[in-house]
Amino acid sequence: MIRPALKDVRMWLTAGALLLALVALFVPRIPLQRNAYDVLAIVDITTSMNTRDVPSGTEKVSRLDAVKSALRDTLAKLPCGSRLGLGFFTERRSFLLFDPVEVCENFAPVDEAIAFLDWRMAWEGDSYVSKGLFSAIDLAGSLKADLLFITDGHELPPLPFSGVGPFEGKPGDVGGLIVGVGSHKRSPLLKYDDDGREIGTYAQQDVPQENRSGPPPPDAASRPGYHPKWAPFGNAVVNNKEHLAVVREEYLQKLASLTGLTYTYLASPRDLVQPLSAAGHARNLTVATNVSAVPGTLALVLLVLVYVLGVLDRRRPLIAILPSTRSQGAY
Amino acid sequence: MNLPFSLALSSPWVLFALPLMLLPLLVSLQRRQGYPSLMDVAPDSISRGVDIALHTAGVVAIGALLAGIGGLYLKGQTVERVGEGAHVVLLLDRSSSMDDTFAGSRPGEGEASKSAAARDLLRDFVTRRPHDRFGVAAFSTMPMHVLPITSHKDAVLGAVDAIARPGLAYTNVGLGLSLALSMQEMDPTPASRAIVLVSDGAGVIDRRVQEKLRAQIAKRPINLYWLYIRTAGAPGIFDPPGADVPDTPQALPERHLNLFFQSLKVPYRAFEAENPQAVADAITEIDKLERNPIRYQERIPERPLSAWAYAIAVAALLPLLLAKLFEVRLEGSAVRTTSVAPDARRAEPARKLQEAA
Repeated sequence: MIRPALKDVRMWLTAGALLLALVALFVPRIPLQRNAYDVLAIVDITTSMNTRDVPSGTEKVSRLDAVKSALRDTLAKLPCGSRLGLGFFTERRSFLLFDPVEVCENFAPVDEAIAFLDWRMAWEGDSYVSKGLFSAIDLAGSLKADLLFITDGHELPPLPFSGVGPFEGKPGDVGGLIVGVGSHKRSPLLKYDDDGREIGTYAQQDVPQENRSGPPPPDAASRPGYHPKWAPFGNAVVNNKEHLAVVREEYLQKLASLTGLTYTYLASPRDLVQPLSAAGHARNLTVATNVSAVPGTLALVLLVLVYVLGVLDRRRPLIAILPSTRSQGAY
Repeated sequence: MNLPFSLALSSPWVLFALPLMLLPLLVSLQRRQGYPSLMDVAPDSISRGVDIALHTAGVVAIGALLAGIGGLYLKGQTVERVGEGAHVVLLLDRSSSMDDTFAGSRPGEGEASKSAAARDLLRDFVTRRPHDRFGVAAFSTMPMHVLPITSHKDAVLGAVDAIARPGLAYTNVGLGLSLALSMQEMDPTPASRAIVLVSDGAGVIDRRVQEKLRAQIAKRPINLYWLYIRTAGAPGIFDPPGADVPDTPQALPERHLNLFFQSLKVPYRAFEAENPQAVADAITEIDKLERNPIRYQERIPERPLSAWAYAIAVAALLPLLLAKLFEVRLEGSAVRTTSVAPDARRAEPARKLQEAA
């Protein structure tokens, strides 16, 4: 006769759980492909980045603080094996603080290094965003990393009438993001004294409102007070609102299309891994992955099912049995 | 996710499934079977024990599987050891003159710039000193905090590599030194401290900055090393001023920076290096000098325990399976009780007991 246990579903489930637990115990590590990113983060630390106009929770924080917290989140979310380098931009070039290093192993010092980024590191107040971007692309290219260029796009002095200078690289060679930060509402630029104390804001006449180097605009002749020799730009007081900080999204989008980078807007501090993974060049990383959780989970499911069926078993009406008949079929 | 005894889970969400461990306590593994009465069955401790063991094995199996799935591991620990070393802040000159060769010209094919030479030797220095912790600061026009004092050598090497990149305009030693000192101040451990200044020139240190530096150094004494990478033809730090040169900081900044460092009353050594070999000698010298006992932390890597968890699960599942295999089914071979006389029912267990005895 058939052993009655073999007809019991719960026996088979228990056996399956045992088998799967054995599989989980002895399954080898399987090499799996995973994406990792090499990123060079260049942060704009010019004066306009001190503007406090980025909402974070209930308060407004400065653009630089928002960027720092976004970068630290990004650092925490980047998959292990990724590398992050850090630099900053001011005047007309990007300056490298350290080469990309592995993010998980070196998390603490990199995180602290980001926290220590400060506008006082800037050696000059000018902000030639396009030149800074181009030099950042050079840097990222030589480090074979994707670029994460974070700026508000505020050119100071303003671009000449000839527009953005030539980009010498090949668009798309270096992948990555241009991240725009700052409010779309204008707010005055903050002013600091020699010791770094905040002493008010810039007025219209404190800041060059248009760039009068290079050739004048083609329509210069129609400007008030125009004189081809003495006043090639006219003599009217111009107000292009350059003393007011606002994120220049169209300009950054233009730079992005010129250089083959992707533009994204940072409305409030958040990590940038998702847009970065879309725009960057992921590096394939083979990782010996422990997959024992898969058979382990299945074993657990089967075992739980054994007991769940036991709950159902309780509902079954019982039949009392004559003990005398046990002797023939019992084990 | 932290658990006591430095155990941790890599996927702590399995803790939500922890109530599943109650299932084996509430539900029996065996099939419920009808039996007219247990009144006559003598309580026996072996059966009781088997019953408790099976329930417990169920709890253990589910718990162990959860631990295995959750990736239980023994946390990496840091142990404190004593070795030789120091906490060193590398204060690196990032002025553009560092990009030139020792001859003071743009590096051509096969020539090393001063910064590249310094980079290679500093790399060597950092990797050769296993127990040191390093911080990195840079300066040109403004001081720049690069890395806090850390034991992560990779990050330090990344920062050292970056000095071969094109530099900036000026050499503002004073503020750079002030930053390096404040980095040492932020580090609370009682280790031996050193600042290694690597530069190819000096600047005039403002009076106010000088006062600040003196105050900072009085607060926390450090060993100071200046590795002066000397370009051919540049004034040396030890040379007495020539007859026609005024002896002022403006005319001879290197000499006066050296004098200033000497006046600080801390252990101070200056090295003048005019070629890569001399830089290497200086670094070996610093390496020899900075040999003080230091307490350093060594990390013991984490140990995964999920294999153990699965082994325990297997060990607990085995008796469960055996119990299921040897389960007796009364109904299959049973006669309906309704047709049986009550006296026969009572007589049978008694007979059985007699047989057993």
